[in-house]
Amino acid sequence: MALATQRVDVPVIVDESKCLEKCTACIEVCPLDVLAKNPETGKAYMKYDECWFCLPCEKECPTNAITVQIPFLLR
Amino acid sequence: MFADTDSELNEWLEMLRSPDLSDRLVAVKTLQHLGDEEALEPLIVALQDESTAVQKLAVTALWELANPKAVPALIECLVSSNEEIRDEALSALGELISPDHLMLLLDAVHRDKVNMQLSILILLRKIHDAQSLPYVLPFFESDQAALREAAVTTLRYLNQVERCQPAIALMSDADGTVRRATALTLGHLADAEVVPALCQALTSDADWQVRRNAAKSLALHANAEAVPALQTALSDNHWQVRKFTLQALQKTPDDRALPALIKALADEYSDVRRDAAIALGKLKNPAALNALQQSLDDPDRDVCIFTQRAIQSIQESTPETSNA
Repeated sequence: MALATQRVDVPVIVDESKCLEKCTACIEVCPLDVLAKNPETGKAYMKYDECWFCLPCEKECPTNAITVQIPFLLR
Repeated sequence: MFADTDSELNEWLEMLRSPDLSDRLVAVKTLQHLGDEEALEPLIVALQDESTAVQKLAVTALWELANPKAVPALIECLVSSNEEIRDEALSALGELISPDHLMLLLDAVHRDKVNMQLSILILLRKIHDAQSLPYVLPFFESDQAALREAAVTTLRYLNQVERCQPAIALMSDADGTVRRATALTLGHLADAEVVPALCQALTSDADWQVRRNAAKSLALHANAEAVPALQTALSDNHWQVRKFTLQALQKTPDDRALPALIKALADEYSDVRRDAAIALGKLKNPAALNALQQSLDDPDRDVCIFTQRAIQSIQESTPETSNA
């Protein structure tokens, strides 16, 4: 899987102001293990640019910090 | 191994009592994922948390634990001022309640809170117990239309209730949604007294959905007394009403309806034409054959198929026609 270098282009957008440092709910529910914690900020981010748009990360986030941008053709 | 699991659980339970909101959020979310029964009591306590976010997650966690011991605490959440918590608790209770909780629900229905009463009326539909009837009936006279509608809908789900005079009176309710629900409920009562009320609604109610629901219910009753009203309803402005009226006539084949049924074969809507063909097939009157033959060229494939079946059905019931 390609590393997601351009974080603005990835489908899973994390609102860092809402993301809780001790929480790993989104990372645990992701079936592709593409989410990770940024060691510098302690916030979740999309480490690998691969997504099934299955949405548990968005649903499980206790603070609604995650938005998954579903491509137009999959809506 | 077990000690590690216990210490991990205790760590999260401790965090659930933290003064820091983000800690409590993380703890309740993690406890939801762990699904450990030991967390039941602390999660019930978390339903009283000062943060509505924690309360909502606690409801979700208790729903996933699926332990009936949480039911009384979840019922209390039905009066929460937060709509999301009420909705989540209602969804959770919908899966957790059983007939054992009937008395608990019936006690709660007396509480003078509209949200609670609405939710309890919905939950009573899951239990289907006729013992609820005396508790449901007072809501027919509520000044809140939502409560009257919920109550008459609940009546539909109660087993062994065959007669209910107060429900018939609701057919004259001022609120359209109440009359719609009532029209559907009357179809499930095994009482011939409801037929005149349904006929009245079918022919004269101002709301087309009430008329459609009355037709649906008359199809369930299959009572020949309704045929004149059904004939009148075949001229209704709304095609949905005409369609369900035809379905009711399929259940009560009557030669008096023959001219109206033939006319319906030329209806603007294919669903209506199809149900008219089916109704003529059930009537088994050879006088319909000519009209049906013309419908074989209908632009809608469905109509052609059912017309063909209707012709076949009539021919089979009158051997001399099939031999001709």
